[in-house]
Amino acid sequence: MDYRDTPEEAKFRLELREWFKHNIPANWRDITDGEGLRALAKSWHKALYADGYMGLNWPKEYGGQGLSPSFDAILNDEAGRAEAPRLPGMVNYLGRAIFTYGTEEQKLLFLPTLLSGEVQWCQGFSEPGAGSDLASLRTRADLQGDHYVVNGQKMWTSGALQADWCLLLARTDSGAAKHKGISCLLTPLDAPGITVNPIVLHSGEPETAEVFFDDVHIPVTQRIGEPGAGWRIAMTTVSYERGASDTGSISVLRRQLRELEQIAHQKGLLNDLNTRMKLARAHVDIEALSLNVAQQLSSRLAGRDPGPEGSVGKLLWSKAAQYTMHVALDVLGADALTGNAPRWLAEYFTSRPVSVYGGSSQIQKNILARMLDMPR
Amino acid sequence: MLALFNEEQQMFESTAKRLAESIGITNPHDLNTNDRAHGWQMLTDVGLLGLRMRDNGVPLASGVEVMIAAQALGETLTPQPFISAVLAGELLALANAPDELIEELVAGETRYGLLLDRSFENLAAPDDADCIAWDTDGAHYALGLIQNQVVRISLAQGFEPAREVADLTRGLLHRRANTTPAETIGEPLSAEKIKRWLALTLVTVSADIVGAITAAQAGAVAYTRERVQYGALIGSFQAIQHLCAEMLVQAQAAHSINCYAAWGVDQLDADEALLAARTAKAYAASVALPVTEAVMQVYGGIGQTWEHIAHVYTRRAMVNARLFGDETYQLQRIADARLGAQ
Repeated sequence: MDYRDTPEEAKFRLELREWFKHNIPANWRDITDGEGLRALAKSWHKALYADGYMGLNWPKEYGGQGLSPSFDAILNDEAGRAEAPRLPGMVNYLGRAIFTYGTEEQKLLFLPTLLSGEVQWCQGFSEPGAGSDLASLRTRADLQGDHYVVNGQKMWTSGALQADWCLLLARTDSGAAKHKGISCLLTPLDAPGITVNPIVLHSGEPETAEVFFDDVHIPVTQRIGEPGAGWRIAMTTVSYERGASDTGSISVLRRQLRELEQIAHQKGLLNDLNTRMKLARAHVDIEALSLNVAQQLSSRLAGRDPGPEGSVGKLLWSKAAQYTMHVALDVLGADALTGNAPRWLAEYFTSRPVSVYGGSSQIQKNILARMLDMPR
Repeated sequence: MLALFNEEQQMFESTAKRLAESIGITNPHDLNTNDRAHGWQMLTDVGLLGLRMRDNGVPLASGVEVMIAAQALGETLTPQPFISAVLAGELLALANAPDELIEELVAGETRYGLLLDRSFENLAAPDDADCIAWDTDGAHYALGLIQNQVVRISLAQGFEPAREVADLTRGLLHRRANTTPAETIGEPLSAEKIKRWLALTLVTVSADIVGAITAAQAGAVAYTRERVQYGALIGSFQAIQHLCAEMLVQAQAAHSINCYAAWGVDQLDADEALLAARTAKAYAASVALPVTEAVMQVYGGIGQTWEHIAHVYTRRAMVNARLFGDETYQLQRIADARLGAQ
């Protein structure tokens, strides 16, 4: 057990710290409109990629840096410390599916542009009737010669409005058991027959979407994994989606807490015992999360894939994110509600779906009960 | 970064767990029959009392090994006073006490409790009228602190066993009369040494919490695989499953956060080490009662009885939660460290 940086990690940390000093977009916090935020996310992604900070843990041949998972933890730490914008969150886990199950050809074709941000991806998993019970999804992909014909509807497809491609789950064998008849198709969103409608979230932003498929033709060569392997691919994807380090979420929490401490100082709240206790407790919850994630990353380093214990990290992440935003509402007070600090109201709402996406907190507990070998 | 035990630490953990299983208790009745002297001898023979002995000023084992041992002994509610022995030994070593004092302690011959103030938050001075000697099973002396000077006081006179105490597994004496004068031991401690001692102390107590809640949780989960109601194993009910999952999350997080603090005892600078330890203790203290209470809930009626082990975990956990400062106390000091003193 040694939490110290190795010489390589220490060098990387120093370079990164210096890089953040010169590369964080000025006044990014003042951007609050949807269009501005999307442009920010895109340019931030490109800047990180240009200097080699995307895909740290990915092999070099697919555009990554070939570093150990601990470097992702350092990226999170330093981004938080530098109060940087959110790290691109979906790249790591969507790419992981292609990276783990794709053919060599698919990997070389799709991964480099996914990492660079040149091509934007989204995740077509949930449906109106298949949320927590994902395996009951009904979107069909019928094999006709050398292509699939897709019909159905996806929902909660985050980022679909900006995305070029979609990692799509569809039922290819309606006769098979529900977990076994699903396949995974790489789908271009500009294919004829696809309609994307925005879903406006409680924050007021159209962050997510519903996607309709009407006789959409997808070449068989764009299926990843074997027919019927879709469930396994989905589980790999969500196991990384649950990782607060993989999604850059620890950096967000560290940045939020630092900012709240400064705001509390500016508002003269540092003499208020209640505020002090809450800020300290947020620190404790964020440390519990990041040190639990550190253990999971170390065990990944030792060659173990993320398993059900990832659900522990997801629950800690939800708790830390939502508690920190309760502290934010207290520290900002009326300013968060009166339009004086709209970014914090938006950040509050952004913390709510953390306990829903990637498997709700209740689903995570079901998974842990199974891990504990409790009766079914 | 390697946030997991290395191979040696894994081996040490299995040794500590085997020992803890052989000397610990599994039901309240064991408290009357447990062969305390035999258990103490085993702890001594395995060398657990000497983990923090110095070799040319360097501890033989790190804070991580102390954590591993304390967690294993916490899992089996071991009544032998390992914590007070290792923390007293650390105080003696930091004060550059005469070698023979440390050797007698490590040999298990001279036994020490710790002298705490009435709040259980700080080491006390022996002339503090309300002071309490803690973890005193078989102890000859208690170590306390006058300003920054380590002192020891004989427990042979002026102390009497407390009645109706919460924790059934560890000894506790109240100061009743001021008879024997305290002896000064070694050199006064620097502020840095006191911080390091406190960091090790918070880690050790947190480890005892982690051990107790981990084992209590495992026992409750095992029970859900046996107990039938409404014609079904109660572990098949989602309400019970979610209670158990929540306990697991809290126990694992308490462990993760304490590992870093345990490593930090010897590796971080004193202020950072203390902040990491307070963070770990704040978390552990905040889950100690919620987990052990949920365990009593899962056991239902039987978990409310004297004969059942559940309350023994709860009792030990509630005392641990308060020792050297509960969640609120730690949060105030974390705020001081991060935000500046009020």
